[in-house]
Amino acid sequence: MATLRSAALAGIRDALPLFVPAVPFALVFGVVVGESAIAPWLGWSSSPIIFGGAVQITLLTLLGEGAGVAAAVTAALIVGARHLLYSVTMAPRFQGQPRWFCWLGPYVLIDQVFALSMLYRDEDPASFRAYFLGAGFTFWTLWMLCTALGLFIGPVVPVEWNLAFAAPVLFMALLVTAIDRWEKVLVALVAAGLTVFFAELPNRFGLLLGAVLGIAVGLSIDLLRRR
Amino acid sequence: MSAFMAILVTGLGTYLSRAIFIVALAQRRFPPLALRALEYVAPAVMGALIITMLTSPRGEVLIGAPELFGLVVAAVVARTTRNHVLTLFAAMGAFWLLAYVM
Repeated sequence: MATLRSAALAGIRDALPLFVPAVPFALVFGVVVGESAIAPWLGWSSSPIIFGGAVQITLLTLLGEGAGVAAAVTAALIVGARHLLYSVTMAPRFQGQPRWFCWLGPYVLIDQVFALSMLYRDEDPASFRAYFLGAGFTFWTLWMLCTALGLFIGPVVPVEWNLAFAAPVLFMALLVTAIDRWEKVLVALVAAGLTVFFAELPNRFGLLLGAVLGIAVGLSIDLLRRR
Repeated sequence: MSAFMAILVTGLGTYLSRAIFIVALAQRRFPPLALRALEYVAPAVMGALIITMLTSPRGEVLIGAPELFGLVVAAVVARTTRNHVLTLFAAMGAFWLLAYVM
């Protein structure tokens, strides 16, 4: 029992410093909801229901700008598509775990939890479970609190500050840290350029078109190289 | 109410994308081509999203010199420090500075 406790505590301890980069996302989330016509409590409900900063900001920005529901949901789900990669990668560590954990664990499988649990070396399934849940629900609790705080702070910030610009800035930070090959720079530039080109299409359709064509360019380069 | 539906559907979809291989398809592997495509999802979507977030609801892309400067500073600081908090402060500072000067 003592080892499970220490595994859970290790999860909590490792999670705390990694939460710091999520704080600006919570504030920007508050600004985005504040600037939209969506009621604050309704916007906040996305925190427990979705539990993913980039996905939530994407969805609520697009809904707030009057994009169609289908277009906003599709864009948000594409932003969350990287979770498929986490699910594939983590699946072996969930084999032999109890069913309840296989259902509950994925709910808190965010970027930071994925990164931490990949580094966790203890082979004992019970310790892994305690560590995973300790880290996951630390992030969960802090995210619920900080997004609620963001909803109070966001609207108080004067509009002239243009704090909404922090959203593209944070996505630029995510983009740049995700790039590890030059092909990805090209993919991002193609997607961005095409989104500018298609900006006038209704329902933010240019976003999807730009993203899909960007991915297609990346895949084409890979396929050409292999021949 | 349609906003709540959008949140529910996105929440369900996000959960499924995190759970599907852990709960149901643990033995399955992604075809290599699909894995390659997934790797390009993040850069493509982030690139497209940055533009979309700076586009007015009527479809005008609102990227002036302050926005461009802010984004370039964000890219450089994020690349060199990998620190999102520092990136946010530096880029917002650059953006405000140029907007104030102009």
